[in-house]
Amino acid sequence: MDSLDTHASTTAEWRSLGTQREDHVMQRRELFGGVLAAALIALGSLPAKAQDPIVFGVITPLSPPGETGLGQLAKRGAEIGVEYINEQGGILGRKVQLSIQDSAGKNEQAVAAYRRLVSSEKAVAVFGFIHSGANIAVNEVAKEMGVPTMGTQTGATDVTAKHYDIAFRTHAVDPPRAGTWLGWIKKNNWKRVSIIAETTDYGIGLAKETEKQNKEKNLGLEIQTIMFDRTTTDLLPQLLQVKAFKPDAIVNIGVGQPLDLMITQAHTVGLLPATPMVTSYDAPARPQFWQLHGEKGVGVSFVAFYSPKSELSDLGKEFAKRYQAKFSEPPVYAALNSFANAIVFAEAIKKAGTTEPKAMIKALEEGSFGGWSTVPVTFPRAEGVLWHNWSPPMMILRYTAKDQTPATAEAAYAQ
Amino acid sequence: MIFSTELLIQTVISGLMVGVLYALMALGITFIYSIVKTINWAMGEFYMIGSYIQFVAVHFLLGPRWWWLAALISMAGTFLIGLLLEPILIKPMYSRPMQRRDDYATVVTIALLLLLRSLAVALGGPYQYRPESDLSVIWIGPLPQEGARVAASVCALLALAAFWIVIKKTWIGLALRAAAQNRIAVQTSGVDVYRLDAVAFAIGVALAGLAGALLAPLFMVFPTNGAVTSVKGFEIIVIGGLGSIPGALIGGLLLGLVESLGAAFISSPYQNVYGFLLVILILIVKPNGLFGERGREA
Repeated sequence: MDSLDTHASTTAEWRSLGTQREDHVMQRRELFGGVLAAALIALGSLPAKAQDPIVFGVITPLSPPGETGLGQLAKRGAEIGVEYINEQGGILGRKVQLSIQDSAGKNEQAVAAYRRLVSSEKAVAVFGFIHSGANIAVNEVAKEMGVPTMGTQTGATDVTAKHYDIAFRTHAVDPPRAGTWLGWIKKNNWKRVSIIAETTDYGIGLAKETEKQNKEKNLGLEIQTIMFDRTTTDLLPQLLQVKAFKPDAIVNIGVGQPLDLMITQAHTVGLLPATPMVTSYDAPARPQFWQLHGEKGVGVSFVAFYSPKSELSDLGKEFAKRYQAKFSEPPVYAALNSFANAIVFAEAIKKAGTTEPKAMIKALEEGSFGGWSTVPVTFPRAEGVLWHNWSPPMMILRYTAKDQTPATAEAAYAQ
Repeated sequence: MIFSTELLIQTVISGLMVGVLYALMALGITFIYSIVKTINWAMGEFYMIGSYIQFVAVHFLLGPRWWWLAALISMAGTFLIGLLLEPILIKPMYSRPMQRRDDYATVVTIALLLLLRSLAVALGGPYQYRPESDLSVIWIGPLPQEGARVAASVCALLALAAFWIVIKKTWIGLALRAAAQNRIAVQTSGVDVYRLDAVAFAIGVALAGLAGALLAPLFMVFPTNGAVTSVKGFEIIVIGGLGSIPGALIGGLLLGLVESLGAAFISSPYQNVYGFLLVILILIVKPNGLFGERGREA
């Protein structure tokens, strides 16, 4: 037994000794590896972690009830943006990867997508928002999680008016947009105006802003405001009320399917083409517009943020060339803006030298960036809704013949 | 809100016309339930399939003049899809011993709903489409109506009448009615009740497909276009009574009226709420619906 015990003890000692030796070797290896890794990082070499791509998140409506037409355009713009950035060598020596999430225009789905992008996919910037409600809901979470957002085509005041550090936007806000159609109405000397708006942050905000400016500027317009639920499939009762009001002009504040439904049914009850109608955004610029409306689309006016006649920056021209080559059609605003969002975030990271959110936000606030237009993109800590906001120039275009494009549409009004 | 007699008449006509179209949808749901004893939650997706077939047939194959033929093709197409799917999805409920049939049917039809919706997005993209219509505006009293809407309402009424004739005057209708009353008795009479189930399911979804085809030029074609319409269908069967054909028609008309009048003369944003208020009222006053009968289960 003794000998056995002794043997066992000796063996245990040897094992223990062996283990200690292995531990020492391991420690030395780890130490060496650590020093080597630190040296490589310090020398700017390419350790595995630093080669990971930088992730840009896109949250945009790709399925109904969202505005899928614009969602597709935002997706296209972001894809070309990331392709361009990577061709230019990426950011800080790293490639950029895009993660596209479908919000379906729903606030809760957008919030879940943001959480997934930031927590699981380590996205450092999120853009592509089309629906204001979704953008506003995401900002409430983003202000806690810290990763900056950029509204690509979200117009409601609260997207930036809450003055959250993380909230940025490159789109027309409510006051100048309402001012645009009020200017168009004033120019034509119209007095009675019907506003038909959906009960979303976007619709309510624009309807209220129009009424507010009418009072503040003493325009003396008689305004009929009718709100509707955006899941409504029949707008005839509302349009019959509009017809009875006998307006000089109609402001169509629907997004997606309700916008198109309103055009069709306004024709049915005889409001169109006799009564001018302006849509609150550039939906008629989409290539699908004429398939949906045919002759009924003639006479429709729309707020546009870009016309092919507009002057583009070199970056904008490069994008237009790539877009035309890839999709065989000229680019429209949502795609241009989404492209510019990707470029602006990339430039901000380069300027900050890091993807750390606070440094990126500081770079965005202090920098001046090149976008698709010749007007530099800046995000000042301005008052009210203009906080962190860059607004494109606005105009009203009108289709005077079937199959027109924004390039051939009549310029009905420009700010 | 503006009020005038003319506006009231216009709103009533508008409500009745949309009500007939809602009724067509509800009829499919209620018919399937009365025979197969299953609520088909994917009914809106058959509406969606009908609208897509209509768009493809009119836009690419036949042209707007042949819209009625396209509608028949849409109905036949959804009938065939229903006939193929029923033995795979619904028949196992009856052919195998199963304790929780309702739960099974709910899970299976909701899974089908998601599958069909995803397929539509994959095949047609998330875009909206509209089959062309060359029907001109028609005046109904003081209300101008799109020709497509008038045609859809007339076709819906014809479909309801044809359905009533099939159910009341033909052998298959007799067998279906018998199966609705007592499945075991029908089986003991030598009728293949499983085949009847498949036919009933296919007829039900074909009615939804026809509704989708008829409404496609009005409410457009996109992957979730059946969602709201199927909710209306479920509201109508609560109002009219589950399993009742006259109930589907009267319920549809009532829902169309309440929504239109409420939106026009009370408050427009609550257009969808008025229907639910009517449903609650009916549930309080007549829990089985206006034409529903109290059932008994062994």
